[in-house]
Amino acid sequence: MVRAGRRLLSSLPALFGVLVFTFLLMRVLPGDPAVFFASGPNAGKEEIEQIRKQMGLNKSVPEQLVFYLSDIGHGNLGRSMMTGQPVLKDLRERLPASLELTFTALLIALIAAVPLGVVAALRPGSFVDHGVRLFCALGVCVPTFVSGLLLIYVFYYLLGLAPDPTGRIDVFTSLPPQRTGFLSIDFLLAGDIEGWWAACKQLILPAVSMALFVIAPLARITRASMLVSLGSDFVRTARSVGLSWHKVVVTYALRNAILPVITIAGIVFSTMLGANVLVEKVFSWPGVASYALDALLSSDYAPVQGFVLLMASLFVLVNLIVDVCYGIADPRVSIE
Amino acid sequence: MRFVSFRPASCVVATVALLLVATAPSQAQTRAETLRYVTGASVNTLDPNIPGSTRESFGLSMSTYDRLVAFGRKQLNGKWVFDLDTITGELAESYDVSPDRLKITFHLRKDAKFQDGSPVTAEDVKWSLDRCVTAPILGKAQLLTGSLTSADQFKVIDPLTIEVTLPNPDKLALPNLATVYPIIINSKVAKEHATTDDPWATAWLKEHTAGSGAYVVETFKPGEQVILKRDEAWNRSSANKPAFFKRVIVQSVPEPATRANLVERGDADIVVDLQASDVQSLEAKGKLKVVSTPQYNAITFVSMNNQIPPFDNVNVRRAIAFALPYDDMFKAALFGRGAPLFGASWPDGKPLNGIYPFQAPVKVDLDKAREYLKAAGLPEGFSTTFSFNVGQASTAEPMAALIKESLAKIGIKVDIQKLPDAQMSTQINEKKLPLFTEGIVAWLPSTDYFYRNFYTGNQRWNYSSTNNPELAAIAQEARFEPDKAKYEEDGRKLNAIHFSEMPQIPLWQPNQDAVMAPSIEGYTYEFHRQVDYRDVSRK
Repeated sequence: MVRAGRRLLSSLPALFGVLVFTFLLMRVLPGDPAVFFASGPNAGKEEIEQIRKQMGLNKSVPEQLVFYLSDIGHGNLGRSMMTGQPVLKDLRERLPASLELTFTALLIALIAAVPLGVVAALRPGSFVDHGVRLFCALGVCVPTFVSGLLLIYVFYYLLGLAPDPTGRIDVFTSLPPQRTGFLSIDFLLAGDIEGWWAACKQLILPAVSMALFVIAPLARITRASMLVSLGSDFVRTARSVGLSWHKVVVTYALRNAILPVITIAGIVFSTMLGANVLVEKVFSWPGVASYALDALLSSDYAPVQGFVLLMASLFVLVNLIVDVCYGIADPRVSIE
Repeated sequence: MRFVSFRPASCVVATVALLLVATAPSQAQTRAETLRYVTGASVNTLDPNIPGSTRESFGLSMSTYDRLVAFGRKQLNGKWVFDLDTITGELAESYDVSPDRLKITFHLRKDAKFQDGSPVTAEDVKWSLDRCVTAPILGKAQLLTGSLTSADQFKVIDPLTIEVTLPNPDKLALPNLATVYPIIINSKVAKEHATTDDPWATAWLKEHTAGSGAYVVETFKPGEQVILKRDEAWNRSSANKPAFFKRVIVQSVPEPATRANLVERGDADIVVDLQASDVQSLEAKGKLKVVSTPQYNAITFVSMNNQIPPFDNVNVRRAIAFALPYDDMFKAALFGRGAPLFGASWPDGKPLNGIYPFQAPVKVDLDKAREYLKAAGLPEGFSTTFSFNVGQASTAEPMAALIKESLAKIGIKVDIQKLPDAQMSTQINEKKLPLFTEGIVAWLPSTDYFYRNFYTGNQRWNYSSTNNPELAAIAQEARFEPDKAKYEEDGRKLNAIHFSEMPQIPLWQPNQDAVMAPSIEGYTYEFHRQVDYRDVSRK
């Protein structure tokens, strides 16, 4: 626990670096947000100046940086021009949506990828192995928005099984009281099974299209590390003493093979959270990634800076969790 | 070791299908009384005056707030469009214009109430209009175009009468009061939330409404959706009845293909921002109602910077005008969905009328273009860049490729430059782009308004950075010209100057394609290019 705390503390300089770097990067990028937002039919110089003042852009860059850092110190990430809301509020509302989607996708991916990898490793070169390889290749080749649009086309448009792909919940369903921000959990806490099911239905298609994309790396790494593990001495010994199939494959081989899978899962998770822009766009998912992209296109500084800070913090956190998971999977490893 | 062989792909499909099969959603019976409007952008403020407001916010404010007056509507080629020349009362029951046209007196409706039940008084009107011309908000620049600049111009006569005085007999004063910005706010409520830093309660009104409009905001999630509830007491429609739909849901769906799916499946009722290709296929299927109206207050241009070489030479500009592949661009970019502004014939070489935008006698004629280039002293051509912004890529990208190909034939080498929206607006504002495509919209599309705002001054909207004193003088004179025949004459002169100087090349007026469920009726093309929820009903 103390070690974990120390690790968290040691990542603070990195976070600070990210903060300053993003801040400067946004200022260096060409494009003046004030001009963009002053795009009413009659917006003239006066309006542009007005917005510039509102965004604090009339001051020098070092001054802006000092103000920005002091704002962050007070827990204020600034205000988004795009939504007109404080960035912190926007992120707080949108992060659960992204997290819920990413967790579900990762869960689906792991449930599918680990067995696939194991199956492929048990019979390398066989028909099954090639099938898995093909499936993985397809999953990686097809960009997520294409698979997303295809899933929508089949399950919503043709079959009419899926609800309309417009966000986290059907517009006609009333929302549960907000506790965790995760709709599927909030509905359960409120005891509203019908609502829970409605939320889950909205979640399935985007989660599956995201999962399809990350099944490949997970399955491939499982297969590779299972192959090593199955070829090792302890598995041969276990087999020779006549242990059951289950014990050999799951208890000994898989447990030893799972470490790289956890590492990759951690990386995949962080990447997914930031890179699922396309899925969020296709399914109108009100997540943080599409929020950041819109902000970037319109040079809306505050949301982009807030987003990068959030991602950096999450990355630190995920790395920590991955390390803790190592310890559980393999007691020989401990956090240094 | 034994395994059941299975095919992963079909397994995924089966699982998904299984998970999705559920009891049919027990949708409320009020679906028929609900209008679900999906759009690619989103509402970001409840007060349209806040700098940075989106077009969706403008559209929403039409229903949440009333104005003193509103535009009527007329039929144009069988489609309903707003009518700039008919101004009807909204909160005003009637209005009188003095003979010298320097005074407009508004008589308020006696039965008009704000959404909190308090009556709408002349005091509220004055406070709201004062706010519009004094607070640092968008309305200020708009009302300026109607000679409304100071709070002194609005005078309360009695609780139901307000008088507006004008320094000039400005034709656009009255229409300006029907635009998006001069909303009438419940001043008592707003003042409660005003602070010394913010005497006009802009911060509070951004997230709250205090109006007398047809709809009350029920939930507002910026960037996602807004849900509106009908105000049963509102009766400012033409039939003195409340609006038709009990509920309106305005939802952001960023992906155009998804919006097309939604409306085709009947889950969304109306959408106005589909891709031209989707509209075409939906129209061909014939299941939905498609109302295509050329946006007669909008124009797409190819603009040239008249201040930087070689475009400072009029012959270069003319050469470009005769080298653009108009028909191909019109088909590739818009699928022919719009009104072309090229390919006219002017028998005596003079403009056919004094209306702007006009259809110009230009078409692709490479020999003529080469002659102009020779006259400009550039027979070998030159190199330049053609820029457009990412937001317009779906139409501008095919255009750019065609322009590059066509201009190469007369020796002009074009590099295509695709810029993020904010970067594009900055470069336009700084007058750095030599050749680019952009569009404009005028809420009050009269000839002098177009010329004054888009062809004069060193400001952002003068895309071509043209500086023609004659044009500026005629446009300024036309502004206060009471005589219709003289105004028309001024318009012809302006159009003739435009054609001979060719500061920029108007291409077309794209269609607004409103795609809606067959049961939706009454859709009208409005000046703000959004659906006015009060217009539509379900049969």
